[in-house]
Amino acid sequence: MIRLDPPDDGVTMLKETAERFVADRYGLARRGEMLRKPDDQIPVHWADMAGLGWLLAPVPEAAGGLGLPPVQIVALLEVLGAGLVLEPVGPVVMRCAATLARALPDAEAVLAPVLSGGCIEVMAGGEEAAPITAMRDGERVTLAGRAPLVVGGAAARAFWVVARMESAPVLIRVPLEKAGVTRFRLVDGQAAAKVVFDGVSCDAGEVITGCAPALAFGADMGLLGMLAETSGLIDALYRATLEHVKLREQFGRPIGRFQAVQHRMADMFIAREEAQSMVQLAAEAMESADTGFRARLVSAARIKIAGSARAVLRDAVQLHGGMGVTDELPVGHMVKRLLVLTQMGGSRATHLKRFREAA
Amino acid sequence: MTDLLNGAEDEAFRQEIREFVTANLHPGTRDKVARGAPLTREDFARWQQCLFERGWVAPAWPVEHGGPGWSARQRLIADEEMFRQHTPPLPGFGLKMIGPILMRFGTPGQQARFLPGILSGDDWWCQGFSEPGAGSDLASLRTRAVRVAGGWRISGSKTWTTYAQYANWIFCLVRTDPQAKKQQGISMMLVDMASDGFTRRPIRLMDGTEEVNEIFLDDVFVPDDQVVGEINRGWTYAKALLENERFGIGGIGRSKHLLQRVREMADAAGRGADPEVADALAAFEIDIMAVEATTLRLLNAAEAGARIGAETSLLKIRGTEIQQGLTELMLEVAGPAALPERESEGAEAPFENAAYQFLNWRKLSIYGGSNEIQRGILAGQVLGL
Ligand SMILES: Cc1cc2nc3c(=O)[nH]c(=O)nc-3n(C[C@H](O)[C@H](O)[C@H](O)COP(=O)(O)OP(=O)(O)OC[C@H]3O[C@@H](n4cnc5c(N)ncnc54)[C@H](O)[C@@H]3O)c2cc1C
Repeated sequence: MIRLDPPDDGVTMLKETAERFVADRYGLARRGEMLRKPDDQIPVHWADMAGLGWLLAPVPEAAGGLGLPPVQIVALLEVLGAGLVLEPVGPVVMRCAATLARALPDAEAVLAPVLSGGCIEVMAGGEEAAPITAMRDGERVTLAGRAPLVVGGAAARAFWVVARMESAPVLIRVPLEKAGVTRFRLVDGQAAAKVVFDGVSCDAGEVITGCAPALAFGADMGLLGMLAETSGLIDALYRATLEHVKLREQFGRPIGRFQAVQHRMADMFIAREEAQSMVQLAAEAMESADTGFRARLVSAARIKIAGSARAVLRDAVQLHGGMGVTDELPVGHMVKRLLVLTQMGGSRATHLKRFREAA
Repeated sequence: MTDLLNGAEDEAFRQEIREFVTANLHPGTRDKVARGAPLTREDFARWQQCLFERGWVAPAWPVEHGGPGWSARQRLIADEEMFRQHTPPLPGFGLKMIGPILMRFGTPGQQARFLPGILSGDDWWCQGFSEPGAGSDLASLRTRAVRVAGGWRISGSKTWTTYAQYANWIFCLVRTDPQAKKQQGISMMLVDMASDGFTRRPIRLMDGTEEVNEIFLDDVFVPDDQVVGEINRGWTYAKALLENERFGIGGIGRSKHLLQRVREMADAAGRGADPEVADALAAFEIDIMAVEATTLRLLNAAEAGARIGAETSLLKIRGTEIQQGLTELMLEVAGPAALPERESEGAEAPFENAAYQFLNWRKLSIYGGSNEIQRGILAGQVLGL
């Protein structure tokens, strides 16, 4: 049942803690220093985030987590997204941990080292465009394929590969030593990896089968995490731009007094409100037992938010004038992160199709 | 892609351009332009040298000043063909902005002194109009020039100065009469960037390039013979210059070039036949056609003697909207492959510059008078609202 309740005290507190955290540690200059660290290093605040309980938060209690509902988690991710944090909370916690918690009987033991902030493990593969295959030959299983872009993968010690084996999806843990990892940066400066799995093999007993529902759930949680970050960025860009048009004067008055500017700000406000609504809607849908309903709402949120994000990006830069295209204000950095988020997570056509077809 | 200018003579002219480009364009530069990679001063300078030697460097200049004597039609064809062959678009600060202004408002002495260097590329110019407090409201600029014996002394700052790092001359708008009404106390001066009191700071843009700069002028001396036209009439010259700029900004050749690149990317991504992408590409081709037809009408009217002024705003608006729209389609086609940093190990041809081009070209709707300002100009000066 969809409720769309206003945030309760728990959410408000979580948000406030996160806002302080980001304000203290993520000024532009400090973030710049972090970006200059070697790309195979775990981002510095990972362990502290674990200490705050953020990594355990969305993981079910049965898997050793806190079992916070998605509506509360998205509030946290909105703040982390807006704060341009470099720790891969979305890929690790929302996608990988959510998947493993449902796919493994011993999830708690497997996840403990990661969620205590000691290391990073992420998912790889599972994209329609670049499928990874697993071939069984007696007692051995061999992989073929690659994951061209794994966010959070640059500092990972293992990859949970989603592969197709005998036309069913399976999950295989590949430790760093066995994978062919190439590290690089993305346009927004964060580290990522390209991982080649060709020829990597393991015992058939290590292959996790029958995990399709867990994979689907994890993929949607991962997407929800990205949508929450996107929505947080939309809000941050809206606020930064609102402040700018109130302060910046041309022709003897704040540019926010010109009607052309006002209308665009009004549109940006609408985009922000709708993005927040859709994130909350999708978050509530994640708790539904009806997988078709879940798929529909997550795809709907993705469609709506990707569109809003692009419009907000355009207008935020435009209304900042020359200042908007520099690297010297937060706006430019937020724009690049927004770009990264909206280029991933599947195409518009894919999500429209899923929306139409999911019963 | 449909060429509107496709008569037999047009074709012969196209052929001549093509042959010249094929024989002369440096392959490294060609490759960068074809991929949308950033260009260096050398890329521009080398190509300018080729064009200069052939007498084609300033298509719109009259023959007596060193132009090739091309008709407006030929200029459009040349622009289109050169883009198609991946030539680098030469910065217009000398060739399209201050050059034509000096021809129209400069003294014979200034013309003799400056025009040859603009053509040959021995002098590089940049444009010192915008200031931190004067962007859209350019007439509120505060950089001041004070009268001294034999000339003027300028103090103040300029910003967003494109390619100032490559330039040795800058044309500036400065306030010469602080008492007069905003537009009336402004003059245009030519400043040697090696002058005492002149400093520059690069501004890093979000795509990582350093195309623009801040300029600080501290009591910089400018002799009288470097004042353009009359003192306090600089606004008139600036307006003429910006209208020239907008004719160029319509950029049909540039749009067609980009459309071609997006097509190639769509094919490389295996989405060339995807109806969604194919329709979007066709729609952009039609949009470009409409701008081209409108440009031709305006040019024909101008050649028949009509004065074209503020109407050029429409070319700037539509041209830049199309180009920005195409960079978005590029992103759509590239998907996540657009995200790795360019020149990193994750970069994947032909998508490696897509995100950068999208980011960099946000500027198109901001500079040269933002698109909001252009719509204001159309509404006010053309529609009389
Ligand atoms: C990459 C780049 C290169 C440039 N190169 C040069 C150069 O070489 N030389 C040079 O002199 N300048 C250059 N410029 C400066 C450019 O001309 C200015 O950025 C532009 O005029 C806008 O001014 P601004 O940046 O101060 O924005 P602002 O004037 O502060 O405008 C901010 C926003 O408010 C809107 N706005 C302002 N007034 C109104 C109004 N009345 N009605 C509706 N909307 C309004 C604008 O459209 C814009 O969206 C460059 C700019 C960029 C980004």
